[in-house]
Amino acid sequence: MRIFTVLGIIFYASILILIGATLLIFSFNILLPQDINQLFVYLQNSLNSRIIVGLSGLLLILVSISFARLILGGYQREKTIAFTTSSGEVTIALNVVEDLIKQLSNVIPEIKELRPDVIADKKGIKVELNVVLKSEANLPELTARLQDITKSKIQEVLGLEEEIIIKIHITKIIAKEDKDKKRKEPEKNESAIPFGGYGRV
Amino acid sequence: MHREESQSNYGTISIHNNVIASIASVAANEIEGVKNIGTDLKSKLCYLLGKKTSAIKVDIDTGGYVSVEIPLVIKYGCNIPEISNKVQENVRLALEKMTNLSVKNINITVQGIEKD
Repeated sequence: MRIFTVLGIIFYASILILIGATLLIFSFNILLPQDINQLFVYLQNSLNSRIIVGLSGLLLILVSISFARLILGGYQREKTIAFTTSSGEVTIALNVVEDLIKQLSNVIPEIKELRPDVIADKKGIKVELNVVLKSEANLPELTARLQDITKSKIQEVLGLEEEIIIKIHITKIIAKEDKDKKRKEPEKNESAIPFGGYGRV
Repeated sequence: MHREESQSNYGTISIHNNVIASIASVAANEIEGVKNIGTDLKSKLCYLLGKKTSAIKVDIDTGGYVSVEIPLVIKYGCNIPEISNKVQENVRLALEKMTNLSVKNINITVQGIEKD
């Protein structure tokens, strides 16, 4: 697979160099528009040359598609954790781990919102947690607890003994006043019923 | 679609890939902790067109060995490797018992976790 990737990169680099060289030659007036025109006329006139040009175009499209699939396939493979059992391979999508971590926001009441991003590489599993907190939370204690719970939950559910690195970013803390205001606002609206005071005088 | 064929005294017996996929699907769903079988692009498109197809991929090589790929959604709180092992074992037993085929690989892809 790696050989194909290297060949693909060399192929695309050669094509880009060729295009760049053509543009340079054109800018230095070495290649005249008449020459290009003559080349196109020559290619157009002969049936054989047209077939060759068409087949080259088709080949280029096929090479591009297979190269793109190769690169995208490799990218998709990195988004999973895999291990082998006696019966075959087990692949776990990383969004499974993300879903698992999201459920932890129900376990810790101080957390308002939890947005995890999980990356797996040779060193282990890296988890980045973007957290929205409620104001009454004690940050050092809470973040340490969150790291412990996340780590033990991943190990418990995945059963893997790989290193798990957990980084926490606290993106927002919701103030208590904001919450109180939100609660009071509907009450104000209730008192402002049109013609609500009629008939009491 | 590929069909696995075997010869009897009266003629040929063919087992369609869909049958193998169905057996694998039922066997996987029997395991406690499996929420449902996952989906792929093809099965989603077929569902939109009103046709139900399984996302389980079945491949039979020239030697008659069967490889099965099963996408799974697992219940929240379950141990994934344990469930995967149980599914692999149950699918292998079911396929061997019902079709007499030799199972080479049962590959599991855990696509998601869902709560009950």
